[in-house]
Amino acid sequence: MPSLFSAGADIRSMESLAEGDSVIHRLPPMAKLVTTLVYVVMVVSFNRYNLSGLIPYAVYPIILISLSQTPYNMLLKRLVIAMPFALFGGAANIFFDRDVAFTIASIAVTYGVVSFLSIMMKTVLTVATVLILISTTRISDISDSLVRLKVPPLFVLSLMMTYRYISVLLEEAGTMYTAYSLRSPNVKGVKIGDMGVFVGQLMIRSLDRAERIYAAMKCRGFNSIYHAGDSQTVGVRYIACVCGALLVLRFINLSELVGNGVLR
Amino acid sequence: MHMADGLISGTVGGVMAAASVAIIAYSIKRIKSDDKTIPMMGVMGAFVFAMQMINFTIPGTGSSGHIVGGTLLAATLGVYPAIIVTACVLIIQCLLFADGGLLALGCNIFNMSVPFVVMYTLIFKPILKNGVTSSKLTIASILSVVLGLQLSAFGVVLETTASGITALPFLPFVLAMQPIHFVIGIVEGVITAAVLIFVYKMRPEILEDKEVMSVKVLAVTIALLAVLIGGGLSMFASGYPDGLEWSMEKVAGTTELEGSSAIHETMAEAQKSTAFMPDYNSKIAGIVGGALTLLLAVAIGFAISFFSKKRTA
Repeated sequence: MPSLFSAGADIRSMESLAEGDSVIHRLPPMAKLVTTLVYVVMVVSFNRYNLSGLIPYAVYPIILISLSQTPYNMLLKRLVIAMPFALFGGAANIFFDRDVAFTIASIAVTYGVVSFLSIMMKTVLTVATVLILISTTRISDISDSLVRLKVPPLFVLSLMMTYRYISVLLEEAGTMYTAYSLRSPNVKGVKIGDMGVFVGQLMIRSLDRAERIYAAMKCRGFNSIYHAGDSQTVGVRYIACVCGALLVLRFINLSELVGNGVLR
Repeated sequence: MHMADGLISGTVGGVMAAASVAIIAYSIKRIKSDDKTIPMMGVMGAFVFAMQMINFTIPGTGSSGHIVGGTLLAATLGVYPAIIVTACVLIIQCLLFADGGLLALGCNIFNMSVPFVVMYTLIFKPILKNGVTSSKLTIASILSVVLGLQLSAFGVVLETTASGITALPFLPFVLAMQPIHFVIGIVEGVITAAVLIFVYKMRPEILEDKEVMSVKVLAVTIALLAVLIGGGLSMFASGYPDGLEWSMEKVAGTTELEGSSAIHETMAEAQKSTAFMPDYNSKIAGIVGGALTLLLAVAIGFAISFFSKKRTA
């Protein structure tokens, strides 16, 4: 997770990316949401030894990144966060799955290495696609799509409220933390003995703020009903094209076809 | 610990997603939907977010950690809002910070909400039944956080091994996860207790009258947990280390059939005659082709970026 002070900036930079204008930005949010879900399910469905079949799937996020001009460094930063768990589970394969799968120039490659690489590949692909969805689609558009997909408004509203108030409460926590560190120099983080008061204080402040926000929302006529924006198009053609291509790539191993063609 | 998409199978992801959707749907039904609930849950979700960013120092080690807050949420909001808030936080962490996978969301929501609300109902609430004191709050917090976290970590182990993507055997995985999470649980339990004691002293009403799961719901949840644990365990027991699924996957992973029986030989012959390139190993073709495909994809990406920049310039 990012730090107390960088998280807010991360969210803001993501929001400004989503405000951009490109072919991908202009796609209907519903189409992007559905294709992202389908893509992730497809990627995860690959057998752990089927690395060559998985590789052509990289084409989709790469095209999306270049068409939407999403900066690569941002993607890499997010990947670092996603990696540790996948690395832990993946590295285990190298040690526990030692049967030789094949040899290249007398170097034996084990099934463990193949599955390690496919786990890493899956992680990179899924993280990249989700990130592209968020960096090309406004959160409010995604929540509109969720309501249209019959997700209960109470849930979508809570999700939106959480998202909206993260930066506010990060600021609150940041102010408290700055005050704390000024009074306790040479301390890294908050001393464990002070955590109760610190977090408790933050909680009480948050609850008080929730009361004030509720009053303000009530003044503006809030009645727990989700008001979706203008009706969006679904983008059936885009969904059909992408899902069709993904299905074809799921059952035809393009890498092997290309390899066979070249080697012949 | 947020699970990633790379390590779970579609089946496990799907089953856990279904379980989480059911739990969330039931929670939404149970929440008394006055207008105030939504801002309260939203702001508390953001609070959890901010709280997880506050690192504390672990004395004597120089390292730092943060708390997760499942029990804290249940104690301040009640069990059903706590489930919704946890789900919201996890969805945002997944989407914005790549912390936990999209398909793994079902697993993560389940692991980080159900164990804690169950322990809150089973342990926390009964201990505080006859009046709140600091020592009771401490015992209740530590017990419910430690047990909740043990269950949660066990869930991660089961879901990961049942997925069969990692070759990490069940036993070493359990032996690595449970003790670590026991220690983490004690630290988080102590901090949770300190927070709740402070909040109780300042605003006792915040901790009062929080809804717990009814006996019926609790029974259903525990039955569901038992089925999931049993299902996960039996999958692991039948499939590993040398069971059917494991070896089948290896066969499916290789496109060549290598068998000694007559049928296998006939099949292998048939495959050879129909294959594109009988002389080359299909894996080599896979590597060469995979590398080429990847290169081509990157080239396409660069070409698109180059031309679109040129056009805007």
